[in-house]
Amino acid sequence: MFSLSSEAKVGLFVLVALIILGYMSFQVGQHGFSFKRGYLVETVFDNATGLDKDASVQIAGVEVGRVESISLKNGKALVVLRIKPDIQLEKDVSAAIRTHGILGDKYVEITPGTIKTAFIPDGGAIEQVNRPADIDRMLSQFALITEDIRAVTSSLRNVLGGEAGESSIREILTNMRELTRSINTVVARNDDKIADVVENLKSASKEMEGTFIALNQVAQGLKKGEGTLGQLLRDKETGEKLSKTISSLQDVTEKISTGKGTFGKLVNDEETAKNLSDSLAGINRYVNKAEQYRTYLSYHGEYLFDTSNAKSYLDVRIQPNPDKFYLLGVVTDPRGRRTLRDYTTGGVTTRVEEYDKSGFLFNAQIGKRFKDIAIRGGIMESTGGVGLEYFAFNDKLRLSFDAFDFSSDRRAHLKGMAEFQIFKYIYLSGGWDDFISNQGNSSPFAGISIRFEDDDLKYLMTTTPIPK
Amino acid sequence: MVLGGLEKLGRLVLYSLEEAGKIMMLFLSAVAWAVRPPWRFHLIIKQMEFVGVKSIFVVVLTGTFTGMVMTLQLFHGFRLFSAESLVGSTVALAMTRELGPVLSSLMVTARAGSAMAAELGTMRVTEQIDALYVMATNPVKYLIVPRVIASIIMMPILTVVADFVGVVGSYFVGVSILGINAGTFMKNINKLVVLDDIFNGLIKAAVFGLILSLIGCYKGFNTRGGAEGVGRATTEAVVLASITILVSDYFLTALMF
Repeated sequence: MFSLSSEAKVGLFVLVALIILGYMSFQVGQHGFSFKRGYLVETVFDNATGLDKDASVQIAGVEVGRVESISLKNGKALVVLRIKPDIQLEKDVSAAIRTHGILGDKYVEITPGTIKTAFIPDGGAIEQVNRPADIDRMLSQFALITEDIRAVTSSLRNVLGGEAGESSIREILTNMRELTRSINTVVARNDDKIADVVENLKSASKEMEGTFIALNQVAQGLKKGEGTLGQLLRDKETGEKLSKTISSLQDVTEKISTGKGTFGKLVNDEETAKNLSDSLAGINRYVNKAEQYRTYLSYHGEYLFDTSNAKSYLDVRIQPNPDKFYLLGVVTDPRGRRTLRDYTTGGVTTRVEEYDKSGFLFNAQIGKRFKDIAIRGGIMESTGGVGLEYFAFNDKLRLSFDAFDFSSDRRAHLKGMAEFQIFKYIYLSGGWDDFISNQGNSSPFAGISIRFEDDDLKYLMTTTPIPK
Repeated sequence: MVLGGLEKLGRLVLYSLEEAGKIMMLFLSAVAWAVRPPWRFHLIIKQMEFVGVKSIFVVVLTGTFTGMVMTLQLFHGFRLFSAESLVGSTVALAMTRELGPVLSSLMVTARAGSAMAAELGTMRVTEQIDALYVMATNPVKYLIVPRVIASIIMMPILTVVADFVGVVGSYFVGVSILGINAGTFMKNINKLVVLDDIFNGLIKAAVFGLILSLIGCYKGFNTRGGAEGVGRATTEAVVLASITILVSDYFLTALMF
């Protein structure tokens, strides 16, 4: 029966567990050891009760960021928000602290602004802050309102309540009755005077009629061409000049719209417009590419304990965008470059293994990264190979597993390694090289790397033409 | 009478202190031997297979059923205030923070910790450990260091598996049997569980791995009194390691969360 060795079983188990861990770390919330991406925006609230670090920041109910920190500034709450890089906030947005439901979590709600041209930069501030309509405030306002109402009703009760109130209301009612009665007698007594007023109105409307007739006469005079205004309207020459001007204007616009003349061509020729937009897009792409390009130089040296050897790696890592990279490098291996040569002497072929001590080994790989996991493939130490990397703790820890040199006469070269960033550019690493070797090359190792980003190299690369 | 009682109490305190001191000394000497070459990786791999690979079945079983039964119990409680959708995230938090590390280390204690005590105990009473001294091989380096290192490495890995199957079991019971909405079940897990929960659980598991292997090895290494002694050492190792894991779990939790 086929049976696995202890090493293979342990390795398989560890691999499966790492895959599960990777899957789980994709699934769960990404704060804590997550990548710090996005830009920071400050807001100042009068009161940030109940708002926690990492609370959601939303626009129209869609999460666009998280609360980065909350601190006290001049007696008010300074809340720093981390907004996703693809979200742009207009200069005039406003922020408010709101609550999910009645008892839910607090979150920061941003209301979009209207200026679509000016956006808040990294480190900028949201100027407009709406006061939160939270339960505490609502309850305290309710209390104030009910107190007011109670004051009104109690004073009303003081006025109207009791026998004194009742008698005063009765008095008011009798006064009202007397008032209407006296109005009635006034109207009856002045009946004649009202008739006079109506008569006056009638004569006034007759005079209005005469005024209208005079206005009519003026309008007719204008029609016949009398007076300055009338002449301007009736004169034929003026009219012709005006119509000529209008027709020549029409001519010009027609020419432009049919594409005649320089200006017309510029406006109408589709090719010109396309060329213009193409060249703009080209410039844009070029600038973007140059910005995205990142180039890292690294030196890595390791000491192999069991074989007492040291290996050095010099690599250039080119990263056109965050999830793709190319790796080029040279490796010096004291074991040297291994070549097989067949010698045929007298019909007998002997295969001889030779090591070229001075030979460099080469790395040329392409890689792709999926969040915490990267896969690589290509040429490793001058042989074909593949590799798998897992990143943790904000990319500070890198676990990698390489498999290469798949030749038929010996076992594949497997290498497991863990690397940890101790300072900005310095990394310490350890692992086990060639651990299933049957050539006696298996050895644990410890190493140190220096890695830094090189901007000069990047611009050197991007001045060569870039593909579309 | 009174004096006799006090004397017993005093002896118990002294005995406990002595045991704690000896375990600490063994730990220090294991650390000292662990960093000294030559390293015997094949011994560690063998122990990793014994502690880790061979415990998969029991850990998967424990994890799955813990997740399932917790879902069943929480469902009835949470239904009282219509919070069924929070069952999944509660189980996931409990599994990653507490139950995953603690239950899998208790199972490994029972399976591997007891075996370590019995194996080393038998070697002690049959004088094989003395034979190692004669061959100029340090038994701490040869026997204890690989077991401790293997346990520290494999416990977090077993815990990852236990966490995962626990949530899978919870999903099965919650969504397929009790009819919780699958979307909100997963969404609340995504929202409420963070990476720190998982990693802190794994750190705990590594500490438990150290505890169970160190105590198992200590009890076995200091066995006295023939076959009966081996049996006693095994029992003591399992009981002491389990208690220490549960107690230290409290302090680790207080420290981390």
